Amino acid sequence: MKNFIFSFLALLLLPAYMSGQAIKGKVVDGSGMGVPGAVISASSSRTTADADFDGNFTINAKEGEILKISMLGFEAVSVAATLTPMKITLKESEDTALKEVVVIGYGTRKKVDNTTAISSIKSEEIVKTKVLNASQAIQGKAAGVQVISSDLPGSTPSVVIRGLGTAIGGRNPLYIVDGMQTENINNINTNDITSYEILKDASALAIYGTRAANGVIIITTKKGSGDKVSVEVESFAGFRAPLKTVKMAGSNKYAYYSNSALQSTTFSQDQPVNTDWFDEITRTGSYTQNNVSVSGATESVKYFFSLGNYQEKAVLNGLDYGRTTFRNNNEYKISKKITLNQNFSVSSANSSPKPLSAFTNAYKQSPIVPVYFPDGKYGVSRVGENGFASETGSSFNNVGNPVAQLNFYDEEQRSVTLQGGLKLDYEIIKSLKFTSQFNGEFYTWKQYNYDDTKNIWLAANPNKVDSDYAKEFPNGNINLLTKGREQYFNWNLSNYLTYNKVFAEIHDVEATAGIETSVKGPREKLTIARKNVNPDSNYWALNDPTVGHGVEYAATVTSLYDVVFNETKLASYFGRFQYKLKDRYLVTGTLRRDGSSNFGKDYRWGTFPAFGLGWVITKEDFMSDVKAINLLKLRGGWGKLGNQNVPLNNQSYASGKNAYLGGSILYEGTTISSQIDPSLSWEITEESSVGLDFELLNNRLKGSFDLYDKNTSNVILYTKPYMTSGLTDQSPAHVGEVSNKGYEISLRWEDKIGDDFSYWIGGNFSNNKNELTGLKDVILAPKTGGSLGNGQTTKLLDNTTIGQPLGSFYLYEYAGFDATNGKMLYYNAAGDKVTQDALDANKDRKYMGSSLPKTNYGITLGFNYKNFDFSVDGYGTGGAKVYNGKKAQRFSGENIEDSLATDFWTLNNLSASNPAPFNEVPVASTYYLESGDFFRINNITVGYKLPIASNNFISSCRLYVNAINPFITQKFSGFSPELNGDGDPYGTQGVELDAYPTLRSLVIGANLKF
Amino acid sequence: MKKIYIAAFVLSASIFTGCSSDYLDVDQTETISTSDVELYNNDAGATQFVTAIYNKFLNWDMTSFGWIGLSSITSDDADKGSSPGDTGTDKDVLDALTYNASNPSAESTFIANYDGINRCNQALNILPKLDKVDANLRNRLAGEAKFMRAFMYFTLVKCYGGVPIVDHLPVPGSDADRIMQLTRKTAPEVYAFIESDLNDAIAALPDKTAYSANEKSRVSKGAAYALLAKVSLYQKKWQQVIDNCNKVTGYALVSDYASQYKVTGKFDSESIFEIYAQGAIPAKGIEGYSNTQGARGTGGWGWGFNTPSQSLVNAYEAGDVRKAATIIFRGQTLYDGRVVPNTVENERYNYKAYSSAYTNAWETDVDIKYLRYAEVLLMKAEASNELGQTSAAIPLLNQIRNRAGLGNTTASSQADVRTAIWKERRVEMAFEHDRFFDLVRTGQAKAAFAIDGKTFTEGKNELFPIPATFIKQAGGLSAQNPGY
Repeated sequence: MKNFIFSFLALLLLPAYMSGQAIKGKVVDGSGMGVPGAVISASSSRTTADADFDGNFTINAKEGEILKISMLGFEAVSVAATLTPMKITLKESEDTALKEVVVIGYGTRKKVDNTTAISSIKSEEIVKTKVLNASQAIQGKAAGVQVISSDLPGSTPSVVIRGLGTAIGGRNPLYIVDGMQTENINNINTNDITSYEILKDASALAIYGTRAANGVIIITTKKGSGDKVSVEVESFAGFRAPLKTVKMAGSNKYAYYSNSALQSTTFSQDQPVNTDWFDEITRTGSYTQNNVSVSGATESVKYFFSLGNYQEKAVLNGLDYGRTTFRNNNEYKISKKITLNQNFSVSSANSSPKPLSAFTNAYKQSPIVPVYFPDGKYGVSRVGENGFASETGSSFNNVGNPVAQLNFYDEEQRSVTLQGGLKLDYEIIKSLKFTSQFNGEFYTWKQYNYDDTKNIWLAANPNKVDSDYAKEFPNGNINLLTKGREQYFNWNLSNYLTYNKVFAEIHDVEATAGIETSVKGPREKLTIARKNVNPDSNYWALNDPTVGHGVEYAATVTSLYDVVFNETKLASYFGRFQYKLKDRYLVTGTLRRDGSSNFGKDYRWGTFPAFGLGWVITKEDFMSDVKAINLLKLRGGWGKLGNQNVPLNNQSYASGKNAYLGGSILYEGTTISSQIDPSLSWEITEESSVGLDFELLNNRLKGSFDLYDKNTSNVILYTKPYMTSGLTDQSPAHVGEVSNKGYEISLRWEDKIGDDFSYWIGGNFSNNKNELTGLKDVILAPKTGGSLGNGQTTKLLDNTTIGQPLGSFYLYEYAGFDATNGKMLYYNAAGDKVTQDALDANKDRKYMGSSLPKTNYGITLGFNYKNFDFSVDGYGTGGAKVYNGKKAQRFSGENIEDSLATDFWTLNNLSASNPAPFNEVPVASTYYLESGDFFRINNITVGYKLPIASNNFISSCRLYVNAINPFITQKFSGFSPELNGDGDPYGTQGVELDAYPTLRSLVIGANLKF
Repeated sequence: MKKIYIAAFVLSASIFTGCSSDYLDVDQTETISTSDVELYNNDAGATQFVTAIYNKFLNWDMTSFGWIGLSSITSDDADKGSSPGDTGTDKDVLDALTYNASNPSAESTFIANYDGINRCNQALNILPKLDKVDANLRNRLAGEAKFMRAFMYFTLVKCYGGVPIVDHLPVPGSDADRIMQLTRKTAPEVYAFIESDLNDAIAALPDKTAYSANEKSRVSKGAAYALLAKVSLYQKKWQQVIDNCNKVTGYALVSDYASQYKVTGKFDSESIFEIYAQGAIPAKGIEGYSNTQGARGTGGWGWGFNTPSQSLVNAYEAGDVRKAATIIFRGQTLYDGRVVPNTVENERYNYKAYSSAYTNAWETDVDIKYLRYAEVLLMKAEASNELGQTSAAIPLLNQIRNRAGLGNTTASSQADVRTAIWKERRVEMAFEHDRFFDLVRTGQAKAAFAIDGKTFTEGKNELFPIPATFIKQAGGLSAQNPGY
């Protein structure tokens, strides 16, 4: 009956409908792939239809009627309808802005329809700079994204997006690799990446809720495409050397300076030895990467396999690093409505680390010390009666032999990371898609460190013999072997629905709603140290055949740590609504609700809303005559984000308060020495931002401008418990407020001259003002940082830090030296010049700027001429301060820089630029603080594509030469002004001490396609 | 098919909607959660919370360098010692009585005692929850905690005057508890609280004989009476002093004064409350106690602080065995045969901090005897004399003198006997962390420091400064001591 009524109504209302026929066809792109979502409209029947996921469509129209097929990013075509299945090929539109798609989290969006600030970096940009970690490769390529990296193999760059909003919480952005959240992307082969998207503003980030406050980086890996098997081989080899070195004083200048310092004639000024320690501990580094990938697609499967290997012999002697990666990404078309994506990757890294303090020791060790004495023993800093280095002389500094340090250091690390996931897309009805995605990550790590204790001691004391060791250390160990093991399993499950429909041709609606859970499994770590093991590493772990299990080592175990770190879970609901009216008015609304196991029951759920608005001005009629402007889009938004990676509020028993109670039994003691604020929760950041995107002059000039104002209102800092509480542990509490305000500009001009020559030039600039704007009425536990290891610290965060940027140096102000005696002077609080022993640590220090830069900029330019390509990229920062920690650590008898060696105060040289030599530990002062400003050419690439016909066995071959970091201009007198240190602005970031130098690399490579 | 997916979607949604609270409840694995009280619901578990209080007495800030500074270097018994250029952070100003409100030793001692008080409060808070623990044991453990809380408040009231009384664990967010922690009480209020704790302890604690050989350092009823007597002495409640002294039974003076400070003298018949230290590995001694006071320089074994003053040397009468038991003289041969060479930097060192077996170790076997029977006799003598029973006081005083190899006192008037007892306290208890407070208590301070060549400012130096950070935290609820 119902059907009858429907039919009847249809009959009455839609006579035209009945008069047509079902016209079937498929819409494909230039490569033959279906174009889902293409709109087919029949002009006279006034019917429309959408192509499905494969580009197939059915429309009721009359034979011969003109069908108009349109799709964003393609040029619309009109063809006459035929009864035989039609095949319509769409030509991609020249208007690239319409084509570009950005990944926005749980979906994609055409760039032109996006209302948020997202920087997309494509694979070509990532592989261009030949470095291990993709985040290092994107340095300078995205406005507002600051990357502080180190060339130490296997190190992780710090990425700061639109300023730092936390002081003790996690600072790293959230990485989402093919839907899986990870903390580190060192396991991802940069060749496997197809896009690297940086979500920058709150309106884009809010969909990631309580993990999003530091920004989100979404990495998508490659998929197969095309209709035949294609094989790609990429190989390169390169050499590396420090970009900049510091010229040290030679032996005789050293002797002159040290004698002046000691006011003696300890050192002969005609030295037989002149050791360049930096030279002795370094070598020309080399690295290679080989990568093979196989990909393709059939009707039902798209496949991609990749195998990569990276090997580096680092510039520091003995430091090696290797990584092998394998990836397989497949997409299965199970049925018309079901698509299954599977990805899987294995990454195995192994390294033999060496202590970076060797760089400091090489800087400080005296050049008069030989690497080896003539009898083959390691040189030591002892001076004989003749003023030369001698085995038996008297010790003149506490620096070890850096070569011996590296030779004795024996450590290896190996890790394996497995990542994989399944993603199922099911088209429930047209316009409604269900997606279910599961991802997992398994990580295992092992390490050993062998300390040859006795021989190290003997090497440092050449006048001692073997038997002396036992005498001086009756209970000392001969050697110490430390072994570590660590593993974890993390997983992530999300289910969401996506609805997408255009109503009445002008109302384009897309809605997404879903749920997700992310679990960071318990990280297990086992560390065991054993003394007096067999010196032969083959015999460190023996079996006992008589009992069938290992040899009992309990008696030699000196320490054993076995930790299972807390598991954390996140449960979330999310929804997003995107609406586009008439292709020009854009509205986005996002809502995420997260529950985190990190927080107390009543404080674990949070809601993170955001909205975005956009206006594509060029779509307006009044703009249609303005030919010079191809695209003008205004966008803006607001959102709220969280950072749940903060100190946990676990209230715990404190054990180990043991005591004897009158006899020989040690009784266990337990108490509670902390009172965590039960309301401790995530840090909340709110951000408002506006942006303008434009394309001018036939799309040749593109650019955007962004402004943002970000405020983190409940920053967690450690507070001092009331002294009378008796609590000894500092309590993290929501007490601070941090503001980040800034702007970003990016511009790019791209043009062709004739058919053979195309070129581009572009750049970006960003400025951020970071400030601790407020503190609640509490007394903070002072957070000192940037320790120089000699009792001096260079940074401070406490109640006095209000109004300063995070990561600020807190130092005495150097006031020149006293002309009468060459002693260093400092300004005290009253403004008087005093010597360091008259300084008051509580009053006389001042904030002197932050280790975090205020501005970042990048440039890019290049051209393609016939088969040649050439490009240059550069990167620079401004406004950061760096502390010359290695210089500040100098103590009596240690080497000095060449520039200082002859230009210091003496009674005969009152106008010298440096103070008189001194032997005491200098206080941390601005004397050692330098500007961190630099501009560096990151990359120069020259490539040549061999002229090969594309139907050859080898379809393409490109040879290239890369110069990475060929030039730098810097004000800093040390090795590198880019000092990531431990990545902590309150740690060693911005302090050059035990720092790995920035490298210059020359790379030759080839890329072949079959 | 569609239905299956919708069902799956709904199902997975219910994972954390239906039982969302459970799903996000993750058990701690890296630290023991305080919600797992049950782990300690047994005799050994309950004991741990009190052991932690004893442990506090071994702590650097509680009993070592800073405390030595406040209780000894400040007094006329001791000088800073060490090398002239080594201030030991603030020991020079403590010695000279010129410290200010941000004095590190005054701050660390304040914090350490409140840390100990927190451990007492933690124990007193959890003990009633441990229902599977033997009731007698729980009762006794609570008594031990109260004794030690009283001891710590006694230290605080002697050093700083009235201080905030934190008598229970503060509830986070409670305004009343915030005020409790930040508001100084008067000294009489603190004394009343100490007495109340001690009376509870007396009711709960056994005699010292009840403890086994491995638990001799636990506090006993006798210790609680002795401490109550001393607390009464500080309040000049003379009759209460006598009453409590009379209840300290089962103790006797040892014949050899010097033996008390050797390993063999631990828990001898005279010892009432003793901080026990064990130097054998794994060592648990008073952190740095012997080392900071050990002879400094070539042939020495320590930092050389807290050296006996000339004023103390002069205080000993001829023939007093206590002088040789208290002071190491440069160049002398010690009881274990060790020769202290003439190359050490200071003329004299504290013998009572010397460890024969673990001489230069950070944690040695040197105990501190905070309450001895000798003091009980002296307290009783003093109280009796003050109550006019001078004739009862003299024999008590003579017991102490005779044991030290001295003849009977010649004093006979009440005033002379008072002075004699005070003087006897000095030489009997030198370097036992009593002298400075005794000088203040008895009003002798100004005169005694004048003899020692230092200026004691009345109305100021009776008390140490309250840490400046605490005054800041208190935000007006508490005021600094006068003069700072």
